[in-house]
Amino acid sequence: MAKRFDASRRTIVKSAAAAALVPAMPRPAFSVEPIRIGMPAALTGPVAGVGAQMRRACEFWAKQVNAKGGLLGRPVELIISDTEGNPAIAVRKAQEMVERDGVRILTCIVVSNEALATVPRLAEWDTIFVSGDNGDGRLTGESLVPNFFRPNVSGPMGTRAVSLYLRDSPMKNFYGLGMDYAWGHNSMEVFEAECKRADKKFTGAVFSPMGTKDFSTYITRIRQSGADGVYLVLSGDDNAAFLSQAKQYRLGDKVQLLTELVDQMTINATGDATVGLIGGSRYPYTYDIPANKAFVAAWQAVYHTLPDMFEGDQYQSCIVLQAGIEKAGSTEAAKLRAALEGLEVDSIKGRVIMRACDHQGEQQGFVTKIVKREGMEHPVPEVIATYPANRITPPCNKMVYDD
Amino acid sequence: MDFFPFLVTQCLNALSQAALLFFLGVGLTLIFGIMRIVNFAHGSFYMLGAFIGYSVARGTGSFWAGLVLSPLIAGGFGTAFEIGLLRRLYRRDASAFLMVTFGLTLVLGEVVRLLWGVQGLQLQLPTALAGIVFLFDEPFPVYRLFLIGAGAVVAIAIWQFLERTRLGLLIRATSQNAEMVQALGVDVNLVRSGIFGVGCGLAALGGVLAAPMVTASLGMAANAIVDAFVIVIIGGMGSFPGSLCAALLVAFVQVFGTYYFPDFAIAAMYLLMLLVLVIRPGGLLGKEA
Repeated sequence: MAKRFDASRRTIVKSAAAAALVPAMPRPAFSVEPIRIGMPAALTGPVAGVGAQMRRACEFWAKQVNAKGGLLGRPVELIISDTEGNPAIAVRKAQEMVERDGVRILTCIVVSNEALATVPRLAEWDTIFVSGDNGDGRLTGESLVPNFFRPNVSGPMGTRAVSLYLRDSPMKNFYGLGMDYAWGHNSMEVFEAECKRADKKFTGAVFSPMGTKDFSTYITRIRQSGADGVYLVLSGDDNAAFLSQAKQYRLGDKVQLLTELVDQMTINATGDATVGLIGGSRYPYTYDIPANKAFVAAWQAVYHTLPDMFEGDQYQSCIVLQAGIEKAGSTEAAKLRAALEGLEVDSIKGRVIMRACDHQGEQQGFVTKIVKREGMEHPVPEVIATYPANRITPPCNKMVYDD
Repeated sequence: MDFFPFLVTQCLNALSQAALLFFLGVGLTLIFGIMRIVNFAHGSFYMLGAFIGYSVARGTGSFWAGLVLSPLIAGGFGTAFEIGLLRRLYRRDASAFLMVTFGLTLVLGEVVRLLWGVQGLQLQLPTALAGIVFLFDEPFPVYRLFLIGAGAVVAIAIWQFLERTRLGLLIRATSQNAEMVQALGVDVNLVRSGIFGVGCGLAALGGVLAAPMVTASLGMAANAIVDAFVIVIIGGMGSFPGSLCAALLVAFVQVFGTYYFPDFAIAAMYLLMLLVLVIRPGGLLGKEA
């Protein structure tokens, strides 16, 4: 017994020494306090796939920054914790990060409901939250708080890109299928308003509960609607299930499937079921500008895959945050807020302007169509239209557009 | 769409959905009937079935190989789990089983995450099943018809097995009075291990069959366990015909409920369960009513 105990103690001592050495290696470069960025991210549950993307983007960015000597001479340290996509857990985890780990910057909150639950606490925590993917229009509308910033494309902006595309399309009647929670309803309202403005007919919408597996009834309803286009606001497993079943029912032969967002994760999960789908993209990796090409190449060198939509969008948010911290010369909330307001950054999607009035990043919008491309294992989103920032971004604090 | 074609299509939709729910519920109810334990890991075997089916189908290039091998592998794993862990716990109270099987869901979830990753995976259908047939000029997937057929075949097979074979007799006897069966010289432990494996295998079969419709994903397990419990509770704990009736009832209520009252889609199943429990507290065909 004594011998075994001794051996294990020695192992513990050894591994403790090793553990102490590992973080000590890069230390000499940064003898200062790291910049701790809190990421209360949904890493399990129905949106785990999105959470994994956003986390990768943050880690990729942090590695890039630290390789160049950090920010303001300080290393970036990511504090990551799983929220399961649950707003109550997200708030608790964020609070732990603020109170226990000394975090003053948050990002990578995956679900809009989690973000909506978190923002009212930001002032009390004296913390800035830079959204990486949160789409709910209210975050820069009625629920806007001074410490919240959204460099990513919002839900209404995603819908707007698609609706601008629709104005020129020959389709006349539209129907909607959305997920039965904040994002689904919010985006559908925007789409309905856009349909009216484009002089198209919106014949109704149906909402499926999160976690729906059998979409046959919804497919029947879509068919019966007689619409020539159906607008989908689905994500994650639900989206994959709907697209697989829609293909099995040959729904696309009769109705053009349109969606707010098309991401590679869904394309990979559903294969050819996505071909022909038209949708907005928060970040199409096929976008052909030098900054993006460099990003895609660097990404591929590390991960051997193409950067997906939420990876690109979250990465852009990180770039904006980085520019803000550099301009502020500080991570204090008041200074960082002042620096972020009105900040202009050239990112992988082109120019982003963090307008001061509602903290929404003004940027261009993309519409893509899923096509099969020679030599690619999976179908890819091809950019079929881009719209300038001034047409994509809604008026300040609004979720609907004037024209 | 006229009313009659609509009715036929919806009924077929409901039947195909019932088949999937039946695969899920019947395994759980068999296990409960024999062992009086609640297998919380049932949904995880369903998910595991989908992922193993995906890998086998991809590796061999044959959907059918996945369909056959995945339940066998998952069933074998279930049996091993029963022999290795559960068998030691029969003298404990039910909470021990809940803890251990819940622990297994966490372990299996992590294993799947490590082996297959977090992204959903599409199980490609063979050409024979990927097609459509025209019902009243509306396309209907062949695969859904296949599901209905598979559900019917498995239901009849289980029923015949329980009613006609000696092993079936033993299973029924064990579910009624395990001590007496043991006293008569039958190795009850063997029956238990076997039935646990069969139950897990059936869940895995359901998982492979569901994969082409919902894609194999980590979220499958949590979703499935709730459905499985609802089926078992509505049908009556441990009742095989009960799980069949419950699967049909739930599927029809869901499909028609979702159509006519889409706002209550999620509540329909639970309202049905509530109604059944009020009228028959032991479930439709349960003994404890």
